[in-house]
Amino acid sequence: MKNRIVPASLLGAALLLLPAPTRPWQEPAAAGGAPGLRYEIWVELDSAGKMLLGKEEIVWTNPSREAVPDMLLHLYWNAFKNEDSALLREAAAEGMSGRGAAPDDGEWGWVDITDIRLADGSDLKPGLQFVTPDGPENPDDQTVARVLFPAPVQPGESVHLRLDFRSKVPRTVTRSGYYKNSFFIAQWYPKPGVYEEGRGWNAHAYHQNSEFFADFADFVVHITVPQNFVVGSSGKQTEVTVDESTKRTTYTFRQAMVHDFAWMADPHYLKIERDFIADREVTAQEYRETARLLGLSVEDVRLPNVKMILLIAPAHKGQIERHFRALRAAIKYYGLWYGPYPYETVTMVDPPFRTRSDGMEYPTLFTAGTQILTSKDVLSPEGVIVHEFGHGYWYGLVANNEFEAAWLDEGLNTYSTARVLARAYGPGAPPLVFKGIPLSWLLRIPKNFDFELNRAAAINNVRYDPVTAWSWKFYNSGSYGANVYMRAATLLSTLEGLLGEETWARIMRTYHMRYRFRHPGKAEFIGVVNEIAGKDMTWFFDELLDATQAFDYGVAAISSVKVPARRRGVYDANGAREEMTSKKIADLEAEQAKSPDRDGAGPAYRTTVVLRRFGEARVRGDAQVKVLVRFKDGTMETRSWDGQARWARLEFIKPVAAESAQIDPEGVWLIDANLANNSRGADGLRRNVVKLMTQLLFTVQSFLHFVSSWS
Amino acid sequence: MGVLKAIANGMGTTFRKPRLLVILYVINIVFAAAVAFPFFIIVQTELGHSFLGSSVRPVDLMWLGEAALKYGDALPALLGGLLVAALLCLALHVFLNGGVFGRLLDREGRTTLPTFFGDCGRYFWRFVRLFLVSLVFLLLTFGIGLRLLSALLDPLIESAVTEWLPLILSNLHLLAALLLLSIVHMIVDYARIAVIADEEAKVLKALRHALNFLKKRFFRAWAIYLVIVAGTLAGTVVFYAVLGALGGPSVPLVLMGLVWMQLYIIFRIWVRILFVSAQAEFYRSHPY
Repeated sequence: MKNRIVPASLLGAALLLLPAPTRPWQEPAAAGGAPGLRYEIWVELDSAGKMLLGKEEIVWTNPSREAVPDMLLHLYWNAFKNEDSALLREAAAEGMSGRGAAPDDGEWGWVDITDIRLADGSDLKPGLQFVTPDGPENPDDQTVARVLFPAPVQPGESVHLRLDFRSKVPRTVTRSGYYKNSFFIAQWYPKPGVYEEGRGWNAHAYHQNSEFFADFADFVVHITVPQNFVVGSSGKQTEVTVDESTKRTTYTFRQAMVHDFAWMADPHYLKIERDFIADREVTAQEYRETARLLGLSVEDVRLPNVKMILLIAPAHKGQIERHFRALRAAIKYYGLWYGPYPYETVTMVDPPFRTRSDGMEYPTLFTAGTQILTSKDVLSPEGVIVHEFGHGYWYGLVANNEFEAAWLDEGLNTYSTARVLARAYGPGAPPLVFKGIPLSWLLRIPKNFDFELNRAAAINNVRYDPVTAWSWKFYNSGSYGANVYMRAATLLSTLEGLLGEETWARIMRTYHMRYRFRHPGKAEFIGVVNEIAGKDMTWFFDELLDATQAFDYGVAAISSVKVPARRRGVYDANGAREEMTSKKIADLEAEQAKSPDRDGAGPAYRTTVVLRRFGEARVRGDAQVKVLVRFKDGTMETRSWDGQARWARLEFIKPVAAESAQIDPEGVWLIDANLANNSRGADGLRRNVVKLMTQLLFTVQSFLHFVSSWS
Repeated sequence: MGVLKAIANGMGTTFRKPRLLVILYVINIVFAAAVAFPFFIIVQTELGHSFLGSSVRPVDLMWLGEAALKYGDALPALLGGLLVAALLCLALHVFLNGGVFGRLLDREGRTTLPTFFGDCGRYFWRFVRLFLVSLVFLLLTFGIGLRLLSALLDPLIESAVTEWLPLILSNLHLLAALLLLSIVHMIVDYARIAVIADEEAKVLKALRHALNFLKKRFFRAWAIYLVIVAGTLAGTVVFYAVLGALGGPSVPLVLMGLVWMQLYIIFRIWVRILFVSAQAEFYRSHPY
């Protein structure tokens, strides 16, 4: 059934059937009104020719107080059209090579708008032109096009566009594409940018180091594929029509209040459905504790049931339960902490072999990623499942601009992923694989929490870029990943430590629920932090996210010396002048020691602790550098330093010498670049250091023995 | 002589000449301590007075991240140093091989430092030439043999429809590489044995002796090699299983861990000696 295009007049009726997220906690009206954007798309997959043939209807309502003369449309697949696209030029500039950098000959992809008209039939094609909104660096990029309207769209007025498009599916470079008869189709349809009052259309080219930004919309998508194909998609499947004459099937998916739509098709995939039943997953005690933490009622934090759909390769059939367990944990904890999942379905796709589409988020659908041989010690695929589902919250629901503030979704989500994994699974071993075989089968690989890995990457990449840089303006992919994901996550963990668990939990909840179905930026996030914390924490973002300076306070020295009861020199007393010599002092002290009627007071010790600020970043606001000094009699004393100068010297007079000094004893400042110098003890080698050295020696011995075997 | 008898006789020889093991172990640990010394200094400087030193684990991301930040710029120099150490170690063992092979093939002779190092010097240049020949073999094996195999397998891997085929084929490729490597090692070992046992001054002639010897009894010779490899792997599994049980920072456990690791190094050095002695027994039982 090739031309089963629904007439445009039925568009309105079709949209009425959308599975809108109509639960009371996320009523779209409460979140800023119904979306000003509606799509209905009919797309047919030519699996042999690797083509998509599509028709698209877009109804866009001008949300601003400005007359809008044009529209910017994303044509992302033109990023795979030739080596002059921004994406491929940036990949080449980073020295990427092979299929990960560009398609091979004959495997290019592209999208053409073959016809574009207003609903009244006015032809807009002559005014359609490619534009480069991100500057002149990539003049031949064709991933953004401008279409001019015959007359400006007035505030509140709607424009109804009808497009025909034709796309060549690329052999996958980054996530979208095919391998043999498997297809993962993302960023595939002409998609308007986001209109921002005072700034115009916000649309960016498809860059190497960036993701996406679009407006919330209601979608109806009809996907026609060969009859034997299994299809998974964003949204909820509402209809299936089989055309026996053409041996093709059309699936209709609908979803309200999402800002993107992706799908996959493969003839061999398994499709399994399960239910997340909230009352089975969350205990009454967990509800009560969450409600107390957030200052809400139990009803406010109660979770809904969700239909979980898994599309998985037959080769990974044995991992079905692992996938669902991870997804249940993610739905539970994101839901409890940030707010209930508002959609009826979530579709989890085990990416088709060699489509390189693993680990990516789309509204109500995400791709996981695993391999046939796995280890229980390694949290894979769990980590990617939790993370990509989490993007349904940070990007999907709270839809910041991923081009301009990627840390707001990647950072918040990396932080959240670490928390969920730690809560649901504990630490995991790194996913080290050799020739497809997990190394944890062969070796005892130490486990770590995600926050430890995040911190290690964070402190090593501070010098390259601020966290808040625009995505494609990072030094390179490594800096983008380390800063946007891991440093941001580490800073959020630090902020959590600084503000306390309860305040932090309420900040995250408030930010999420307030900006659901909206496009917040950094200012909105900081606003919520300041509001809930009850103090101005802007300095934290200025000092640590917007800057490229290391945060490192340390204990430089600790020493305790006996305070002499008498001092040498010439003293005036009773009109006379007497010199106190070393010998006199020694004699007096010896006599005092022998004296039976001494008052029992022993010698006093002066302990000096020198603190240093090794990094450029400073604590500000009411934050202080806390120092805990332990003494040999078991007593402790805590002092605070404002941390502004480069160093501070603290003195303590005590009857005993000091044992150690420790900065940040509560471990708040996870972002501190050198935790080793945060404490200093008087005693020497520590047992674990000895153990480390013995293992180091063994490693070198083994290495040398291995080398000798080649002699 | 059968495979197991050659190995059993080889074992007997290694037990009769324990000083070989002592010499090689002492050289190994002294060399390793020298190479590891800068790392010891770093660990002691960074952690010796820090609370982190009480909790640090062997692979501790909290500290490794800091070490990378602090010493990352020195990494090229560090790797360069390791490369130099590896090359020195290689040269040293080309030299020591003379002593190992010489003493093992001198059944009745005693192993003393003068006799050991005397053999090292006596056979050094011949063993250097054999080492260079082994590089040619390796080049042929990896540069041509395995590339041909890759050319055969790559189209199959490229056209795979699931992960299984690439997984199996790439592991078969690895297995082939290891087996070929074992054959190269074995040939060169027998050539070294021939140098001493046949008092052959010309290494190419010794190599020909070895190849002729192996031509007639290749699979038995290879079986000796593979059985010892299998035994080594079994020993390694036991080692890691016990080492895992010795976790924890208490002094007795740290000491037991240290002793256990050193026993394993001794075991591996012994295995190296066993390779030579078993092959020497096998060679001598079939006079050229």
